[in-house]
Amino acid sequence: MEYGLKPLGREKLWLWVMLVPTIIGLAFGTIGSLLATLTLSFFDWDLIGTPTWAGISNYVQLFQNESYMEAFSNTLKFSAMYVPSVVIISLLLAVLLNRKIRGVGVFRTVYFLPTVTSAVATALVWNMIYGRDTGILNFMLESVGLSPVCWLCTNNAMLSVVIVNVWGAIGEGMIIFLAGLTAIPRDYYEAAELDGASGFQQFLRVTVPLVTPSIFFQTLIAAINAFQAYDYIYMLTRRSGGDSSVPVAVFSIYRNAFHFFRMGDASAQAIQLALLVAVFMGVMFWWERRYVVYE
Amino acid sequence: MKKLLFVLVIASLLLTACGGGAKPAAGNGPVTITFMMWGAPEEQTVWQAVVDDFQAANPNIKVNVEVSDWDSYWTKLNTLFAGGTPPDVFAMDAPLYLDWQSRGALLNLQPYIDANPGFLDGFYPQTLTAYKLDDGYYGLPRDFNTITLFYNKDMFDAAGMPYPTGDWTYDDLMAAAIQLTKDTDNDGKTNQYGLWTDTWDMELFWSELIWANGGEIISPDHTQTLIAEGGARDAWAYIDTLYKEGVMPTPATAGEYGGDLFQSGQAAMTTIGHWAVPGYVASNINFGVAPMPKGPQGAATSVNSAGFVVSKDSKNHDAAFAFIKFALSEAGQKRLAELGFSIPVLKSVAESDAYLKQAGGFDQKVFLDSLAFAHMKPVFKGYEEWAGVVGDGLIPVWDGEAELNATLDEVVKSADEVLANNK
Repeated sequence: MEYGLKPLGREKLWLWVMLVPTIIGLAFGTIGSLLATLTLSFFDWDLIGTPTWAGISNYVQLFQNESYMEAFSNTLKFSAMYVPSVVIISLLLAVLLNRKIRGVGVFRTVYFLPTVTSAVATALVWNMIYGRDTGILNFMLESVGLSPVCWLCTNNAMLSVVIVNVWGAIGEGMIIFLAGLTAIPRDYYEAAELDGASGFQQFLRVTVPLVTPSIFFQTLIAAINAFQAYDYIYMLTRRSGGDSSVPVAVFSIYRNAFHFFRMGDASAQAIQLALLVAVFMGVMFWWERRYVVYE
Repeated sequence: MKKLLFVLVIASLLLTACGGGAKPAAGNGPVTITFMMWGAPEEQTVWQAVVDDFQAANPNIKVNVEVSDWDSYWTKLNTLFAGGTPPDVFAMDAPLYLDWQSRGALLNLQPYIDANPGFLDGFYPQTLTAYKLDDGYYGLPRDFNTITLFYNKDMFDAAGMPYPTGDWTYDDLMAAAIQLTKDTDNDGKTNQYGLWTDTWDMELFWSELIWANGGEIISPDHTQTLIAEGGARDAWAYIDTLYKEGVMPTPATAGEYGGDLFQSGQAAMTTIGHWAVPGYVASNINFGVAPMPKGPQGAATSVNSAGFVVSKDSKNHDAAFAFIKFALSEAGQKRLAELGFSIPVLKSVAESDAYLKQAGGFDQKVFLDSLAFAHMKPVFKGYEEWAGVVGDGLIPVWDGEAELNATLDEVVKSADEVLANNK
């Protein structure tokens, strides 16, 4: 590919001057800590003494560590519910809000608001919604004659947490899909209509295939967010003693590293999670080559 | 130009690389030590006063006080240790003491104690036990807390009931709690609970109850969890009844009310330590204090202490100990007593007006007298992880989602695994 502008002479120098802070940040902050984590995952280290070589024992122990396996399976369950919900709901929402209706700006703003609100603050509000005795949700259930549900008790906590996370993410997804939708030429719909396609058929045969790039992108982003999800979950399910009733993988990494003096185990968990995300990305890119249509 | 830039970049890189290493050597010149602790903003003010007194008496030593909230305190501490720049003196919670000591993080203070004969004579001996190891003290207590029964006088008066006394048994507690649980606006939901306490950690309720039933928490060699043996099972059954009778809000419900229902005037009784007093006074709760009730095996309560430790890698051991010595002197302990959160470890201060004549209008001596039947909150490696397994494991039972005995068996199994992993 040919670029129109190329840095020349002194410009080249300034190019580097401008890039150096970012490069240093990347080298030490991102790549440095990644390498450090990888190295530490082969050591036993309690943060205080000297690290001792542990070979692959930290990785072997991962599979025998019940609490980590629970946290890891929670992350998988969470992702399995979260990713499809975010993608489907935000796509439907974008389709609904991609029409000329009165007050569309207001609706778009309302759905986008959670994205720009502090997770801690919204989690507090959700706590009030989910409350067993005083919660709004149970009040509504009871007023239509249903029995109240303990939303944040151990049995229902996962579902409740997924709902909040999905609610927090659809705004961002909606924006991405709206951008994708506006790029679809109107004539396609006109042509489909002339051929007698119903609204639903138009959605399925015209809209969905043409927003596959957005679906692909949104699935990637949602999956990355799902594997790293932490803030809403912790705020909604934390208990005294800094514990959580829905421990996820990121939470387990944090607890092992900074509370249980097991930096090596925590690093191995982090690497395993990163590998899983990488594998998922690989699958996604393979899927992209087969199914994603770029105009 | 290019060359200059290159030099600048290299120089700045070198500077960053060396930044952490340089430290002033200890000599006769002025030294600066760092003191890190967890606590509320009010505590920082009082500690700054202690530090100011200390600096006035020791012009060669400067102390930087850093206060964080409980959660970030431990994360910060771990990070500083990992980076090789630990604080000189830091606060320690007794149950976590062995986790730090066994990893070689702490300085043995015994030589300093030996050099100051009689230094520990004025301490309550119960507060020293947690820190004493075979080869000496790696930490010293700074204040302690016994757990007592707090009651809301207004609620007892309204119900025409006599206040709790030292003769109460757990049956009396249950009966009073049932009587004091009320649905004042008849909407089918409880507005006033008989009792509220935390059953996640052992300190506020369940360890006391287990001891009063003749049970134990952990074997002396720290390999076995004993919370499901003998009398301990009766203790759990009692807690289960409290929740099932609805006289105590379940963890899920308590969470809705922001935690302390006694402070918000929604519970008639609670079991907690002296640290809660300033909050209750500020919330205008008209409360009294009684000793913990008696169980089949007599009276029992829990005593826990916060303390000071010195980093082994600190460059200023002498200055660090000088500061601890000052904070544990009568002058320092009097300041702490004024703060009103915890109880001074020095007998002479705890039994003086500085402690006994605090705000609150209740008998401060109850906390001191409770020492006579107090058990030390256990100190063992892996405490935090163990407490999580037990506390979390039982929450489904309290929330009414699981059966007690089967869950207890599972919890003990996982708790023993934690102990094995932290050997």
